[in-house]
Amino acid sequence: MTATEGFKRHGDHSYIAQFADSEKEVLLNLCEQIIELLAERTDHGHDDPLAAMVGITSHDSPPEDEVLHRLLPNAYADSVDASEFRRYTESTLRQKKQAHAISMRIHLKSSDDGIVDLDHENANAWLGAINDIRLALGVRLKVENSSQEELELLAPDDPLRGVYAVYTWLGWLQETLLSALIDDADEDEEAQLGNS
Amino acid sequence: MVKTADKIEEEIRAIFSGDTPWVTIVWDDPVNLQTYVVYVFMELFGYSKVRATELMLQVHNDGKAIVSTGSREEMEHDVARLHEYGLWATLQRGDQL
Repeated sequence: MTATEGFKRHGDHSYIAQFADSEKEVLLNLCEQIIELLAERTDHGHDDPLAAMVGITSHDSPPEDEVLHRLLPNAYADSVDASEFRRYTESTLRQKKQAHAISMRIHLKSSDDGIVDLDHENANAWLGAINDIRLALGVRLKVENSSQEELELLAPDDPLRGVYAVYTWLGWLQETLLSALIDDADEDEEAQLGNS
Repeated sequence: MVKTADKIEEEIRAIFSGDTPWVTIVWDDPVNLQTYVVYVFMELFGYSKVRATELMLQVHNDGKAIVSTGSREEMEHDVARLHEYGLWATLQRGDQL
């Protein structure tokens, strides 16, 4: 099967892409990794089921893992405020991020021919999931401290070279979905202006 | 940790004065695509493409931008939604910028 051409608009607020088997494998694998990574940060040793039920976690400090830290950042510069906010919100944030990746995984798994057809809400979940994967890969690639030239000139035997290839491919894929979504939003905006 | 009496007094004053001087700030990030940031601003805040693009460019050029203002509770909600979509956001009092 040929390589995907990315997402295209398909009817009213519907976005379609077809993936080759190998591409589907890569995407599924990355979804799994994000789901697992977020699951690692469970609310271990929680002795208050009521607190757990309303989403209060035992975590009040940021994750030590650099990737998790980027996915679950502090909301305040002030560490006391940041801790308190984290205690009440981190578990919801983790669940939402997992839900995005799970939604992406379900679409891929349930597609026999590699075609995925997303509505607006699913498209947002895909965007969020792809973005989390890119953030995770970006941390591993040290995108913060490296120039694009440095990353493009990685040696052929450097294991990061493959990571960088996936990272840029995901950026391209995300861009195709964004351009389809923004075209739709533009048309909606124009229609609204026309009506008013 | 215990909040200082001054800080508490200050917060009480802010609450009773009806002031809502809190802001949500989005920080520049080398990973997030520019188009993605524009789309998230449009989607979460209902901003026009023009307004969303202006804010994205401000984040890109100045390293940060204020994307919404309101009560502390509202800003916490905005930050949580921005985090859900992977943007690097924090909130703070508007008079302490």
